[in-house]
Amino acid sequence: MIDLLGTHYNYLVFVALVAIGLYGVTASTNLVKKIIGLNIFQVGIFLFFVTSGYVDGAAPPLVGHGSGPYASPLPHVLILTAIVVGVSLTAVALALIVRIYEAYGTLDEDAIREVQLND
Amino acid sequence: MTTVSTTLAIVLTFSVLAALAAIFLRDVLNAIIAFAAFSFGIAVAWILLAAPDVALTEAAVGAGITTVLFLVTIAKTVRPSGERLLEAVEWRSVAIVVLLVGTLLTTVRSLPAVGSADAPVATSRVTEYYLQNAYPETGVENAVTAVLAAYRGFDTLGEATVVIAAGVAVLLVLRQEAYV
Repeated sequence: MIDLLGTHYNYLVFVALVAIGLYGVTASTNLVKKIIGLNIFQVGIFLFFVTSGYVDGAAPPLVGHGSGPYASPLPHVLILTAIVVGVSLTAVALALIVRIYEAYGTLDEDAIREVQLND
Repeated sequence: MTTVSTTLAIVLTFSVLAALAAIFLRDVLNAIIAFAAFSFGIAVAWILLAAPDVALTEAAVGAGITTVLFLVTIAKTVRPSGERLLEAVEWRSVAIVVLLVGTLLTTVRSLPAVGSADAPVATSRVTEYYLQNAYPETGVENAVTAVLAAYRGFDTLGEATVVIAAGVAVLLVLRQEAYV
């Protein structure tokens, strides 16, 4: 396990970020913090992808001049798309949170459930 | 066997600590600031991983726009601040997280070492094709731009569709019909 720290550190950080994100989504009762957890989970997956395309001592994939080795461009492209989709998702989620606050007057999950039971 | 550079390890460790702070700080404003610091650390990590395009997007979108969206949300709603600085640990969630971590850790050993030149992605035919042909075929020096705008152009069109759909959804949800 210890030898993995040197050679697989990025992947261990990926596991840590996914764990922190999942904890945030499931444990936080505040809806805004749930979305923060979702974003951290997502960045963990990004780290997995970008690391998979990295080669030691590689240059960024600017291929017009100079010579390799280059990092693989494909994971970068996929993650660029995923970042933009992620922020769209966050925007919609936060808009829904603003409406939930208008309707229930609270962002606490347990308090919202109580209001629903009383109605 | 290649090893992870010390700089990268420090930046990633900082990011993990910032992520922990974002989840465990009780005050939501503190959590948002910690999340911005986390995004910034990750953006630096992308540069160290030879992904400048992703770093720029992460800095602008992750640390910039997302943080602003969070701040606007708590300005429009409520900022619950408790008497305690940190959240109490929720043990049922810890149990779920331990299950996930255990499963993922069993797979880490079978992944190639970070930065090894014979890793499947680095040696894949797709990677080689893009690196060799992106400039001659598209005339774009940045292979990431070439793939994004030329080879996977329809993907990017789909991405733009998602952004438009999200914008319309936000306006609808917030009942700003004047703009729709």
